Amino acid sequence: MNRDDLIKYLLENHPGKIELLDTGKVEPFFALNKEYLLEFCRSIKTDDILAMDFLCNIAAVDTGEKLEVVYSVASAKNRIRFDFKVVMPYEEAEVESVQTVWAGANWHEREIWELFGINVRNHDNLTRFLLPDDWNQGNPMRKNWDAPDFIRMPEL
Amino acid sequence: MTQGLRTEEFLVNMGPHHPSTHGVCRFLLTMDGEVVVKAVPYIGYLHRAIEKICENRTYAQCIPIIDRFEYCTSMSCELAFCLATEKLAGIKVPERAEYLRIIMVELNRIASHLIWFGTTSLDLGAITPFLYGFREREDILDLYEMTCGQRLTYNYIRVGGVSRDIPSDFIPKTKAFLEKFPEKVEDYVRLLNENPIWMVRNQKVGVMSAELALSYGVSGPALRASGVKFDIRRDDPYSIYDRFDFEIPTGTNGDCYDRYLVRLEEMRQSAKIVKQAIEQMPEGEIKTKVPTNFKPPKGEVYSRIENSRGEMGVYIQSAGDSKKPLRLKLRGGSFNQLQVMPEIVKGGKIADLVAVMASMDIIMPEVDR
Repeated sequence: MNRDDLIKYLLENHPGKIELLDTGKVEPFFALNKEYLLEFCRSIKTDDILAMDFLCNIAAVDTGEKLEVVYSVASAKNRIRFDFKVVMPYEEAEVESVQTVWAGANWHEREIWELFGINVRNHDNLTRFLLPDDWNQGNPMRKNWDAPDFIRMPEL
Repeated sequence: MTQGLRTEEFLVNMGPHHPSTHGVCRFLLTMDGEVVVKAVPYIGYLHRAIEKICENRTYAQCIPIIDRFEYCTSMSCELAFCLATEKLAGIKVPERAEYLRIIMVELNRIASHLIWFGTTSLDLGAITPFLYGFREREDILDLYEMTCGQRLTYNYIRVGGVSRDIPSDFIPKTKAFLEKFPEKVEDYVRLLNENPIWMVRNQKVGVMSAELALSYGVSGPALRASGVKFDIRRDDPYSIYDRFDFEIPTGTNGDCYDRYLVRLEEMRQSAKIVKQAIEQMPEGEIKTKVPTNFKPPKGEVYSRIENSRGEMGVYIQSAGDSKKPLRLKLRGGSFNQLQVMPEIVKGGKIADLVAVMASMDIIMPEVDR
């Protein structure tokens, strides 16, 4: 399935629910509503034509204005790969867990909970992970977080 | 006689400073005698906040830091980052640089598998293979040293090409290495393949089904040993991998022994790719000019390569008006390989945990970042 077919197929199957972002890169990039996230993930996994059986990565982003969670998925069987993301304001930092779809999402989600302070609903094990057990200094990957000895490089 | 006697589960802390955890990883094991009932990995001992540091560096300054992400295959890490950046900015790389990259990366794969080969056999009680593996790896490190002056963290692959051309004696020396290397692999085969201890410790140990591996995002040799013929070099080709002829070895049982066989065959195939690349390599430029004030346009990209431990992915988001990435996320194969371990070691002996951990080829800096 080439890039255009894939975009057409996804937009037709999820009308009005997902939006194609114009990033101009090889793999298509979609944005979707976080209420639709779990349903979308289930559908692309069980769909025979797509069969997205492999979750590559979950990356959270703090852009300075809002939070984003980016999911990169692939199909080992059908050689398809694309990305999608959910965007949310700081006040509603919460996503649904997708570990019922891909078990490997577990640790990725623990990481975004710990480092970005994005709550993951229905996650079975949200505990300290990369940071020390007694950590109480907030979420270090947020843009407004600086370590005491951290010197920001000026923009030249 | 048995009246009043009872058995009880107990907890064992394995690590963080256990020699076979390849870095600093701790397992909290619930044991029933010698049998593992439950294993919980604790990570984060090597967390260096690479991603946060890179947000405060220019793209060129990120490369030496990403070298430390996974020091056994620094070249591949550099390649993954440079490919992602080039994709973001639409930079074309000269032909010769593409071939130089492939040669370096594939030699790096051999070197990394040799480390794996040595340390795994050391974990399982064989000393000689360790010495053999490091002997061959030394030749590859010499080749790197004569090219870029470094033996472990290279800073060789740059955005737009590579930092310098190879010296004149690189090609003859690489050819000499490739000449003798297949014989060395045969030595390894003779040492271990039918060694009774090796077989007992590895066969039917740590069996991972294809479904389990895929759902946990396991990739690379560990996934292929479970019978899934998936290799990013072939299925999602990057750089110039579509020009080479190589095979993708797969296993059938998904046990430690299959993972060993797959890696052994991968070393042979990598040597084959290097040989082809040397023959095809043209003369010419080695680097596209990238401005000192390099600012990729606004956008985001997830780019992945086949590292020796599986899928190495780099996610970059650029704000468009900055020399520094807004967000850089690194995804290493070991992260998912470690995550699946509790499922595999459940119900096995504690000694098998060592064998499984070794055969998964987990390296902790890649997990913690």
